[in-house]
Amino acid sequence: MAKDVEGPEGFQTRDYEDPPPTPFFDADELTKWSLYRAVIAEFVATLLFLYITVLTVIGYKIQSDTKAGGVDCGGVGILGIAWAFGGMIFILVYCTAGISGGHINPAVTFGLFLARKVSLIRAVLYMVAQCLGAICGVGFVKAFQSSYYDRYGGGANSLADGYNTGTGLAAEIIGTFVLVYTVFSATDPKRNARDSHVPVLAPLPIGFAVFMVHLATIPITGTGINPARSFGAAVIYNKSKPWDDHWIFWVGPFIGAAIAAFYHQFVLRASGSKSLGSFRSAANV
Amino acid sequence: MEGKEEDVRVGANKFPERQPIGTSAQSDKDYKEPPPAPLFEPGELASWSFWRAGIAEFIATFLFLYITVLTVMGVKRSPNMCASVGIQGIAWAFGGMIFALVYCTAGISGGHINPAVTFGLFLARKLSLTRAVYYIVMQCLGAICGAGVVKGFQPKQYQALGGGANTIAHGYTKGSGLGAEIIGTFVLVYTVFSATDAKRNARDSHVPILAPLPIGFAVFLVHLATIPITGTGINPARSLGAAIIFNKDNAWDDHWVFWVGPFIGAALAALYHVIVIRAIPFKSRS
Repeated sequence: MAKDVEGPEGFQTRDYEDPPPTPFFDADELTKWSLYRAVIAEFVATLLFLYITVLTVIGYKIQSDTKAGGVDCGGVGILGIAWAFGGMIFILVYCTAGISGGHINPAVTFGLFLARKVSLIRAVLYMVAQCLGAICGVGFVKAFQSSYYDRYGGGANSLADGYNTGTGLAAEIIGTFVLVYTVFSATDPKRNARDSHVPVLAPLPIGFAVFMVHLATIPITGTGINPARSFGAAVIYNKSKPWDDHWIFWVGPFIGAAIAAFYHQFVLRASGSKSLGSFRSAANV
Repeated sequence: MEGKEEDVRVGANKFPERQPIGTSAQSDKDYKEPPPAPLFEPGELASWSFWRAGIAEFIATFLFLYITVLTVMGVKRSPNMCASVGIQGIAWAFGGMIFALVYCTAGISGGHINPAVTFGLFLARKLSLTRAVYYIVMQCLGAICGAGVVKGFQPKQYQALGGGANTIAHGYTKGSGLGAEIIGTFVLVYTVFSATDAKRNARDSHVPILAPLPIGFAVFLVHLATIPITGTGINPARSLGAAIIFNKDNAWDDHWVFWVGPFIGAALAALYHVIVIRAIPFKSRS
């Protein structure tokens, strides 16, 4: 592993710089169009995400329903559903990374907020926009095929038979940890420097992480790991079963995001011990 | 004369025409082969980056087993193959997860997530013995924990459906299983060597453009080919984690295949890359 280069004055000359913690309240950003543009981008991205993914879910269920003219192996399959989620995250993060950071997920926003990479105002606005976008996205799906939508579960997340609440919660926690941890790795300034500051397809591993988690946990919860996604489907479908389990899809992802933020900031980047090192240097001076 | 000096300043005349470009280019490498890592480097034990690397390997292998074995259990539990992600989904789970995790941990620990990869890189003198042993221990522990969480989700089904453990399927001999593991691991470790090669890095202008992607695809492709034979080990930690948590005779009977095969495959890949492809020992001598 390459070591930091020692400069002539004894200071390490890194070619990257960790950005300072973002203030909780930054009144100045409220006056800039880039904030509102970012919020709009998150809304549109989440709308498209839910539209494509939930439409894929409903389409699969229609085509594989053997009692209504479908066939056992009809439709794109569960694998196709997982691809829809992962692939859509890939292209949407790719499109909006430079505009809003490409979160498309309240859990990602929460994790980045804990790591002091977005302000409180921005975090709240992003989450609201994501939830509204999710509701609109699923609304489109229902508008296109309301009877099919209601008959085939509305793409809502709920605990599958045979799994208890603790298992569902744990699956959501670990699944969101995988996603948010990948996001942190993809956006790390040190990694950026190592890649010679060429952001070559950072969204791809994020999309793959989403795809992987869906492969593993679709049988358990239909895979939330995105509170906006679960919320949008629950609101439009509006039956008691999804609402009964709905708390799992907020508590789990937020806990997973918090653990990922802690792991990346304090274990992998060791920012605590670096602060201690700075303190020692100051004492020497 | 002025024109010539101008050419020199802009670098156009770096290689005088009278000298064959091919010959002079050979002595003007813009990469440097890193020196062999010492077997023991006591100083690294005092560095947080050493311990952090092991923690990263543990977490990565834990997540790898959690996602992949959970996917296997999902397929096994479903009423038919089309009601689940299928065997192809299992292969994607293994390959895709290696891609994502190697991407996340490449800068921390080198992103091995596999004792066979660690062994191959150790043979190629890219890491110390201390670090290699530490990584392998952390990978095995992470694998055990990952499979353990999956069992915690569904204890009865886990035991009834084989626990995602690697065994040689009916109709195949142990020799076939061993051969499949050797060649499968060769594909993986050879891809790792190619993706991390200093010369290739120079050719790519030192931008490691998604080196993890071909590694993930190598894992995916080997799984497509050998899931019917052994369930595909090519990762001793993965096989050990599932075997320990499942803990039945049939898993342990064949278990040696999933250590001997991968380690032989990794050794062959190391030999092939270092001695045949890069001819490093001969260059060092001259």
